[in-house]
Amino acid sequence: MSPALEQFFAMSGYGTYVWSSFALALGIVLLNVWLAKRSLADAERDARRRLDMARESVP
Amino acid sequence: MYGFARRWAPWFGGCAAVAMFVALYGGLVLAPPDYQQKDAFRIVYVHAPVATFSMVIYTTMALAAAVGLIWRMKVAHAVAAASAPIGAWLTIATLGTGMLWGKPMWGAYWVWDPRLTSELVLLFLDFGYMGLRAAIEDPQKADKASAVLAIVGVVNIPIIRFSVDWWNSLHQPATTKLLGDPDMDGSMVWPLLLMLVAFALYYAAVMLVRLRAELLRRERNASWVREVLS
Repeated sequence: MSPALEQFFAMSGYGTYVWSSFALALGIVLLNVWLAKRSLADAERDARRRLDMARESVP
Repeated sequence: MYGFARRWAPWFGGCAAVAMFVALYGGLVLAPPDYQQKDAFRIVYVHAPVATFSMVIYTTMALAAAVGLIWRMKVAHAVAAASAPIGAWLTIATLGTGMLWGKPMWGAYWVWDPRLTSELVLLFLDFGYMGLRAAIEDPQKADKASAVLAIVGVVNIPIIRFSVDWWNSLHQPATTKLLGDPDMDGSMVWPLLLMLVAFALYYAAVMLVRLRAELLRRERNASWVREVLS
């Protein structure tokens, strides 16, 4: 690794704190997106099931 | 509303991703190190936006809940319900990134400081709101009960916001001001402001996806659901 890059990752000695806080924030940002998409997929699946059941009960 | 959410969420999300990327580059690479905190100050670029939005989202929840109670708008209650988990996660991110900043600056991950304690109370309010909704099966009753909780809990927001001014706090005061010059140099402040814009777009995108789920769960009108699902 070049010295400039090494210096960048070291963050004047605070690298552990800086990078772990950025990783934590990024992780939660992505987790929020994933959870929202999963919640929508669940709701769509349940709504489809309700529609199918309603259709079957109609003679 | 459902169609609006479906159409606009990807645009908000896309713009948020671009803005976050540019703000990260500005904050991590272009901005110079702080003369006191050196490179540790860069944590502000994630900590301040998630902290701001943990409060903005709770305030939005309380406002939406109030609108839902006063004008009996189902969509408003759905907006509040869709916002709660996003707010809770951002509150966790605030506490986590704050602890990672507190350790090198103050020597401790946690202190029972007014700012930190009131933010922890915000997390419990978010949890309480979600727990209450989950515990009540009838959606209309859940809307009403959780709305009252959200509105009462909003009193905590000014306590968090002004805790650093009202009490002698270990936490540093606000970095940016609504009016007047910020305490930071321009090269340091623009990535922060851009990150705030990015999080506004991000919140809009994620909330709209969750709002669609909320609307589908509440909707009993089969023809409407059939139309949006086909």
